[in-house]
Amino acid sequence: MSRLSAEDRRVWIVIAVITVLGALFIPFSQIVLGVNYTYTVRTVATGGAILGLVTGVLGCFAVLRQESLMGDALSHAALPGVGIAFLIAGRDLSVLLIGAGISSWIGVQFIRLVLNTTRIKQDTAMGITLAAWFAAGIALLAYIQGRADASQAGLNTFIFGQAAAIVESDVWLISVISLISCGVLMLFWKEFKLVTFDPEFAGANGFRIGLINVILSTLIVVAIVLGLQLAGVILMVGMLIAPGISARQWTQKLNQMVILSGVFGAFAGSLGAVLSAVDADVPTGPMIIVAAFTIALISIGFAPQRGLLWKLIRRQSDQRRFAAQTTLRDLYKYANSHGEASYPIPNSLILGIGGSTASLGLKKLLQRGDVKQKNDKWILTIQGIQVATEDAYNQQLWDVYRVYGDELGVPLIMEDRQKPIEDVLPDDAIIRLKQKLNEGLT
Amino acid sequence: MSKLNGAGKTSESKKPIALSIDDLTVAYNSKPAIWDIDLEIPEGVLMAIVGPNGAGKSTLIKAVLNLIPRAAGTALFYGKDYEQARSLVGYVPQRGSVDWDFPTSVIDVVTMGLYGKLGWFRRPGKKEHALALHALDQVGMVDFAERQISQLSGGQQQRTFLARALVQDAQIYFMDEPFAAVDAVTERAIVTILHELRERGKTVLVVHHDLQTVEDYFDWVTLLNVEIVAYGPTKDIFTPINLQKTYGGRVSYLNESRPVIVGGD
Amino acid sequence: MYGLESLIIQFLMTFFTREEINFFLRDPQNTAIIIGCLIAISGALLGTFLLLRGMSLTSDAISHTVLLGIVVAFMIMTSVFGQEPNTSSPWLIIGAALAGVTTVVLTELIYKSGLVKQDAALGLAFPLLFAISIILVSRFVEDVHMDEDAVMIGEIGIAWANTNSHCFENCTTVTIERDDELADITRQCFNCRDLGISPRDEGAEFSEICTNCGTYSPGQAWQAGLVDEEPLLVFWPESITVTALMTLLTIGFVTLFYKELKLASFDESLAKALGMRPSVMHYALMILVSLVAVGAFDAVGSILVIAFFIIPPAAAYLLTDRLSLMLIYSAIIGSAGAFFGYGLARGEFLGIFNIDDGLAFLNRVFDLGLLERWDSSISASMVLMIFFFFLLSWILSPKYGLVSTIIRRANQRRRFNDQVVLGHIYNHQSTDREAIELTTDDLYQHFRWSQSKMKLVLGRLRASNSIHVVNNIIQLTPRGEAHVKLFRQENLATESTVN
Repeated sequence: MSRLSAEDRRVWIVIAVITVLGALFIPFSQIVLGVNYTYTVRTVATGGAILGLVTGVLGCFAVLRQESLMGDALSHAALPGVGIAFLIAGRDLSVLLIGAGISSWIGVQFIRLVLNTTRIKQDTAMGITLAAWFAAGIALLAYIQGRADASQAGLNTFIFGQAAAIVESDVWLISVISLISCGVLMLFWKEFKLVTFDPEFAGANGFRIGLINVILSTLIVVAIVLGLQLAGVILMVGMLIAPGISARQWTQKLNQMVILSGVFGAFAGSLGAVLSAVDADVPTGPMIIVAAFTIALISIGFAPQRGLLWKLIRRQSDQRRFAAQTTLRDLYKYANSHGEASYPIPNSLILGIGGSTASLGLKKLLQRGDVKQKNDKWILTIQGIQVATEDAYNQQLWDVYRVYGDELGVPLIMEDRQKPIEDVLPDDAIIRLKQKLNEGLT
Repeated sequence: MSKLNGAGKTSESKKPIALSIDDLTVAYNSKPAIWDIDLEIPEGVLMAIVGPNGAGKSTLIKAVLNLIPRAAGTALFYGKDYEQARSLVGYVPQRGSVDWDFPTSVIDVVTMGLYGKLGWFRRPGKKEHALALHALDQVGMVDFAERQISQLSGGQQQRTFLARALVQDAQIYFMDEPFAAVDAVTERAIVTILHELRERGKTVLVVHHDLQTVEDYFDWVTLLNVEIVAYGPTKDIFTPINLQKTYGGRVSYLNESRPVIVGGD
Repeated sequence: MYGLESLIIQFLMTFFTREEINFFLRDPQNTAIIIGCLIAISGALLGTFLLLRGMSLTSDAISHTVLLGIVVAFMIMTSVFGQEPNTSSPWLIIGAALAGVTTVVLTELIYKSGLVKQDAALGLAFPLLFAISIILVSRFVEDVHMDEDAVMIGEIGIAWANTNSHCFENCTTVTIERDDELADITRQCFNCRDLGISPRDEGAEFSEICTNCGTYSPGQAWQAGLVDEEPLLVFWPESITVTALMTLLTIGFVTLFYKELKLASFDESLAKALGMRPSVMHYALMILVSLVAVGAFDAVGSILVIAFFIIPPAAAYLLTDRLSLMLIYSAIIGSAGAFFGYGLARGEFLGIFNIDDGLAFLNRVFDLGLLERWDSSISASMVLMIFFFFLLSWILSPKYGLVSTIIRRANQRRRFNDQVVLGHIYNHQSTDREAIELTTDDLYQHFRWSQSKMKLVLGRLRASNSIHVVNNIIQLTPRGEAHVKLFRQENLATESTVN
């Protein structure tokens, strides 16, 4: 269990690449973009990294539970809480966050209530809550603008995000909350995994799925509330789910997905934070989203195994292999019908039989050395004849298995004619099949 | 008028009662999903639960396992409530109830079967790993242990679920349509495992959809259509009259005694 | 657009005088409410179909992303055509429609990759498009119409001031050219600023410019004192025309394609089988949503317009089962929200109480130092008013409201519990287990009910003469037996197959 599989290595490589990119970004930004890493900018970058990390980690579960859009509703629903908290206590980040959390929570309960008591569907219920809570937030902010208190400008940061507003004390608060959240995540790791994957089974096994869901939902709310300062209410959902979606493409293990998602999130968070702190015109949220989405695009496109490019390449190679096999069989059959396996076959004939598959297959066979070309005709090489003969024999054995398998007491398996039957059945079964085949041939 | 009840009462055999259900009723929007269910299942029985769609078969299992609320009634496992008897019970839910694109491996899923025994906060270790491998061996999936579940065929998924229940080493097993849409090889394998379980004295209840195979695979059967129509040993209970009552005239006979459901349902 | 406005005004002038129209429209409240109602009606009509098709959140996404279309259109207008950014240009319409379609297409693409689930695909697509538009807005578009706040909430409160003037009498357009005798020519230093010198310094160079040349509309000519007779003008807020056009378009679309929309929303496969093109309807709907979002953009911003699409139809959904009524109710609810929402922004809640008083109260009790004058965003307040009406509908709707549902469910539960007991007696009476199963004392244990619950049910059944107790065993009366038979017939299949 301690040796690294190819998959594990891949994940580590990705983490390494991202870290290197992140490290390289610092000199790059200094030289090309003229970023001066003052104390403020460093603070902002650190805050962005931590926030990105924790939203990436916790956002994985929003993605896996297919609650991405609930994350959107939760984000919008946080706004009035921020306004009310401000009216009560001024611009104290911890109070604002608590206000945001309570407001989100009330929104979620309202959604559940509407779903349980009416025939309104989930997307509509979320839309109502999202719009109404957001409007309440806007109304409160507009009212607050009437105050002489100029610091209300800080509240707009919750709509589009403004990393420049993060100060050192904020970073401490954020770090503590993030640490606690990640701690809770590790503590309840197997419970979260089980309840997300198969809640029914979890319930039958005595797990308090209601309680676990509440804890997990709370963590997601915490992630959203924290990330609001960075991404703003409207874009928060992107920041929540993009790192998780990206990470999913690189690994099939949940723990790796979560770690990788955190790394991606930290990268996008700090990148966006720095870029926007430098150019005060641009709010932070959009920068982070663009960075996170770029990572997602690259992941979906190019990740090994799952990535689209990979699948395309593999499909083509499968097609080529299949074409080669079919064409070889056609050539062999035709040649034998003329008496010998090395009989030359006209090009037009084989193309007539196989069409585009044949032309693809011939290319591959030529490459493999199973076939050679003379004038306008194709001839099987010695190697090719051997391959074709073995293949034909294999197919014959499969035929015998299909018809006589039960009768001969051969174990029941799934037919996979691409595989050599000797690899799949035990030796004594093969012997019996071969005997039967000989009987039939004589 | 009273309804027909279970035949072959256990007054002859001295086997203990593994599962005893009394007056179990579940409502859905104030309509009965299952109604006044009385069942006494002796230990060591391999029982099929059959009935038309919407008859409440899955509902029955879920209500017995406390997964959905009951309008009335009780279910006792060796005389105990489910809360106390949980470690005696293994559950194989329907395959479709899960997202098979979840990032996890076959052996990971099987290990999840042991989470209940670990309780809060403890992590699975070497012992759990070994138990999981053993369960995979029983279903013939040891070679697939590290495979991602998104790459499994339907039959392989089913066997993984089965292994997850086997690893719990329970006394009573509930399975919801384990034979649905699996290949012949897997079906054969599952039947073998079910019979092995019975040999070992376990009690197995299976929601089954294929009337053709009930007599071959199961020694007891329950005919359910919201209410219990009849239950007991297959040879006594699985009769044309009872089937008619259960399926309401949508059963016809192809050759001799092989029943088949006709008409849309 | 201008010509259309003139037509409308001429039509109105057959009922009202010029002064009345001007006076009416100059009141910010009237104009805001008219615009709000127009948006509400368009939103309600389209939103009804979106709700029925489960596409509420798609409208959410599109409302965000039309901003991208608008920004790109703006950028093209200014850089390629050198035009003034003008929110009623046809380019915007094209940009908006494209943006709406792009959102839907992008979401589908991401989903089709097979690697991302449907909800996550939407959650990736629209934030990306919206993020790009915000970046573009903040970096490249310097215009008072496009600052971020306006983007979100619009400026319906000042819509009354953004008018086109229409002249109906004494309309003289005056053009002053350089050689005109009225032209006022002066000298101006054109290189002073660059060199940092004053006009009196050496090296200052001058050109002659005309300070009052150009074309004056009738109103401007009058103000400049260039004509003797006052022109009779009507000042018509631009936004009204835009939103009215949208509303007409929407009403037209819905009326024309009512049957197709209805069928496509309820039974897509049937629609296809009948030769209608549900996907065309789908995209047409999306495009219209984009257009309404753009038309409403000036007034309520790109975020709040979502509320007009989602909330009134949801409220109507709880009031009726008929599509036609649902459309009408949602339009009314949306308009009512717009109407009363204006007052709410000033603190007046439906004329019932005033928020200012509430703030004063809070200050007295909690000493919060709140400003005791509630003056807030009009568009947000309209949304809140609509939400209030939704709450009313949710709670009080006779068919689907909370109150009636609770009552109905309680009744249903009671009847069901009665039936459970009756059915149990029916199944066990006259059997060998009768003595065990049907004693009054411990029946509740069989059911796992509390004793009090069982007492209540038994009491009800005795009162309705459905059961009687004989030797401590509960029995059914003939009436009770009839009830059981009826219940079994309606709910249990086996009844009909027995005998």
